[in-house]
Amino acid sequence: MNMGKRIVDWLDLRLGMRDILEQNLTHYLLPRNINIWYTLGAVLLTLFALQFATGILLLIYYQPNPETAFASVQRIMNDIPYGWLIRSLHAVGANIIVLALLLHMLSVLFMGSYKRPRELTWVSGFIVFNLALALCLTGYLLPWSQLSFWATTVATDTAGAVPVIGDALVRLLRGGPMVGEATLGRFFALHVMGLPLALGLVLAMHLFCVRRAGISQPPFGPTPPPQPPAAFQHQEHPGGIPFFPHYVCKDLAVIAFFLVLLLVGVFFTPGLFIPPTALIPADPFSTPPGIKPEWYFLWAYQTLKIFPSEFLGLAIQGAAMTGLALLPFLDAGPERRPARRPMFVAAFFLGLALFVGISVWGHFS
Amino acid sequence: MEEIPLAPSRRRFFLTGALGGAGALLAVLAGWPVWRFLSPRAGADAAENIAFPRNQVAVGQAHFFNFRGRSAVLLHRTPGEFVAFSAICTHLGCIVQWLPEKGEFLCPCHGGRFSAEGRVVAGPPPQPLDRLPVVIDADQVRIG
Repeated sequence: MNMGKRIVDWLDLRLGMRDILEQNLTHYLLPRNINIWYTLGAVLLTLFALQFATGILLLIYYQPNPETAFASVQRIMNDIPYGWLIRSLHAVGANIIVLALLLHMLSVLFMGSYKRPRELTWVSGFIVFNLALALCLTGYLLPWSQLSFWATTVATDTAGAVPVIGDALVRLLRGGPMVGEATLGRFFALHVMGLPLALGLVLAMHLFCVRRAGISQPPFGPTPPPQPPAAFQHQEHPGGIPFFPHYVCKDLAVIAFFLVLLLVGVFFTPGLFIPPTALIPADPFSTPPGIKPEWYFLWAYQTLKIFPSEFLGLAIQGAAMTGLALLPFLDAGPERRPARRPMFVAAFFLGLALFVGISVWGHFS
Repeated sequence: MEEIPLAPSRRRFFLTGALGGAGALLAVLAGWPVWRFLSPRAGADAAENIAFPRNQVAVGQAHFFNFRGRSAVLLHRTPGEFVAFSAICTHLGCIVQWLPEKGEFLCPCHGGRFSAEGRVVAGPPPQPLDRLPVVIDADQVRIG
């Protein structure tokens, strides 16, 4: 008897492991017409795990102090064996996560998978997306470079456009009137503890919702997806394909694709994610020209520039994000097939074009 | 020529072996950078020597310092005679204290006592304190 079987036998006797494995792997059936976009959840879990692991490793050498933060990051990059690799994986990985999150959300939108009974899955996923962006923002300051210092100054300054409480909000975010030691302290605490903890909890809620409601059937092919049930019902897919090994293989293939994308970023285009202004220590008395946020915040940056009133720009951003968060409640009709939702599909592609267009405009403006 | 079908057990053996091999290779590829990242930098401080002015340590007094990443102690035993030891107790690694009135080292953890020559006088330490080379160079005491 081999060791693996003995371990499973031992656990099976105490925890009923075989039952758990069967229910969640071999007997967990997915729709026969499931497509590759459903793998993005597994891709994101892998990327988040990688961020968590590389983040812990970076914590060993990083020093969250304005006097030493920049030097500690330079030490990681230049002196610590493979420090450049760990830091680059973390920095580029953050960008790949945002890309995968956007693709995941776009696929869910296009297939109408956010609709009843999966509203909570969508809302929890949307919160995960926002927490991931907050992690990107707080992590951006930690190297204490010119780029990180001034990007954070601009980002936190936008909160000042909120009526009445704007100034207080900016001071609260920064821990003072300017970005400084207090800002680094609170961003560090948020980045390594507060936000990952919140993200872990909301992610657990998201996965619970996914598993409890069951995988949605793609709204393509001759068989229309079933109408949402009146009472709670776990969506089964009799005659479907097993999660393991069939879909796990597809998951692994797409995970490998994203890891290759990450490694291409790390090995071939590091300058794209760590530009020259990221190699100069922060100087609170000298703003470098052309400071811009990361690509995923360019739409917000450009929106604020387009409108004459900063408050109006911020209000439009807030309305867009709130509308997305509450979409399952605004678009409550049961129809999920894109061919039968021309208005939604038109809005989907227009919205996507707007996002890309404004971002490109922001990049070149 | 007739093809002999492979038994499912042989296919499974091949698949398990191939996946296991690929997994092991990936684990080594990912694990090596992490191992190197976490490893202390070997030899980075091996050649470090340290020197003190002779008059920094009075006769009968000891001076504790960091030597190549470890705690050490320089003792001015008699006028002009300096000795240096590792300050790490050979029992369980606590740092010894110098008791000038008794002229011996005491380990506060388990009561180990060492003479001014580093020999075990009492208590559980199994070995004397490690001695470090000392050179008197003009008005400097050089260790290492």
